Amino acid sequence: MNWLFHFLSLLVEPFSYSFMQRALLSCALIGFTNGFLGTFIILRRQALLADALSHSLLPGLALAAMIVGLSPGGLLLGGLIAALFVALGAQVMARNSRLKEETAVASLYIIAFALGIVLIRFAKVKVDLTHFLFGNILGVGNGDLWIAYGAAFLTLATLVLFQRPLLLTLFDVTVAQASGVRVRWVETGLLALTVLGLVASLQAVGVLLSLGLLIIPAATSYLLTDSFNRMLWGGAFLGMICAVGGLVISFFANIPSGPCIVMLMALFLGAAYLFSPRYGVLFKLIRGRHYHEESLERWEGHQGHDHQVPGKESKP
Amino acid sequence: MSTPHHEREPMLRIEDLTVSYHRVPAIHHLSLSLGFGHCVGLFGPNGAGKSTLLKSVAGLLNPETGRILIEGIAIDQAASLIAYLPQRESVDWDFPVTVRGLVEMGRYHQVGLVGSFSQRDQTAVEEALELFNLTPLARRQIKELSGGQQQRAFLARAWAQEADLYLLDEPFGGLDRTSAAALASALGTLRERGKLLLVSHHALAEAESLFDTAILLNGELVACGPTSEALSPQNLECAYGTAIYSGAHYHS
Repeated sequence: MNWLFHFLSLLVEPFSYSFMQRALLSCALIGFTNGFLGTFIILRRQALLADALSHSLLPGLALAAMIVGLSPGGLLLGGLIAALFVALGAQVMARNSRLKEETAVASLYIIAFALGIVLIRFAKVKVDLTHFLFGNILGVGNGDLWIAYGAAFLTLATLVLFQRPLLLTLFDVTVAQASGVRVRWVETGLLALTVLGLVASLQAVGVLLSLGLLIIPAATSYLLTDSFNRMLWGGAFLGMICAVGGLVISFFANIPSGPCIVMLMALFLGAAYLFSPRYGVLFKLIRGRHYHEESLERWEGHQGHDHQVPGKESKP
Repeated sequence: MSTPHHEREPMLRIEDLTVSYHRVPAIHHLSLSLGFGHCVGLFGPNGAGKSTLLKSVAGLLNPETGRILIEGIAIDQAASLIAYLPQRESVDWDFPVTVRGLVEMGRYHQVGLVGSFSQRDQTAVEEALELFNLTPLARRQIKELSGGQQQRAFLARAWAQEADLYLLDEPFGGLDRTSAAALASALGTLRERGKLLLVSHHALAEAESLFDTAILLNGELVACGPTSEALSPQNLECAYGTAIYSGAHYHS
């Protein structure tokens, strides 16, 4: 038992540092919240829009850094405004010209990203671009933690409260609208929460990897279940486990936490892709494609119980 | 909603309806009334405004003139009385929902945002599953159904919603003969239970066996009445023989 004790104390040791405690708490909160939100984004088929939004945070962050320095509140606000600007701007462009929405989004986000890199050069304080791009979880301060608490509370409360109209909208926008759901509000709200989720995970994983926390846990859980609720909570818990696990591994392996978290999630996604009992690639190969019983029943219903091919009977 | 129940007239009333896309009218000044307990086929050439009429009644389009009343209530106040059934292509069949989950969605309006399902809601769901022979399939994911079963699952959702008016856009498209027969009998059941069904359909051949009433459109209302009368040779000539204005065009 001695080795177990040593192993556990080794595992717990990093958390005696307060910066590590904050990082852990922040990872758990963000992993859970974004994993939960991911289900909605995936079913709305907005994974790539979320990616575009994550890049478009950058000019907002740079502007905030220029004006108010590196305070978490300022960065949050800057990121929110920049992303909403891109999202809504793309809609306006698509509506008023022959450009389709995905073209408008792609153009605007990459322009915003470039603008952000230019603006960062002019920030008052010295800003390390890599911190914005890849996160700096060990630098999580109390302000960042408060934002994580706030984002988690707001996101989870909104999604749980409006789960039914959201579900109707995700399933079929037209039918939801016909049944009296205000789909524009639902869609805009979901977009705003997506941006909030991205901004909240900046410090942990950065602009470029924040999409991972939003998409991969929910995608994994989508491959494992046919129940919306299980997908929702499964994604949330998986996100939390991976964020915390990735952080611990990154500490011991001495590699950056963002990539470590994403790689851990990749492991789960790969396993689900291959081994999911219902939708895994391997099991699909092994199991037949048909509902054999039903197909047989139907055949028998039409043909009686005679399974012989008619032509064969005449042969001696 | 202030009208007491016994004063409500059990019918759909469309008064002087004009609907346009980008200032080009798709339906011109259409007026008609349909009583409940009918299965109504909606016929006309492409571009005649069949889908537009269904979407208008579903409250998805803003009419340029006129109004639509169900049981004497404006449709935007009566969303729960109307069930618009999606076209097959618009449904994400991989959505993580079982047949029971789909039917439960029909109750969301009654249950509200966060309330839990009462005994009455559960009963409504069970009844809907039973009525459309879906009880043994209730635990299946919706992709694991045949085309006809999928249509019935959406009808069951509308039944659980306690809708009185069912709007179906080309539901027979892409169904094999067996599934089409099952769907037709399901529609018959709904008609017997006093529901009004408005169904767009393109084949005229089996019109009389499927629908007791028919509406013939070509941008304007050509005819509305018992199927054999509405689809008379003269009316069909009028509906299909006239060119329909559909969009900007130039005269040489």
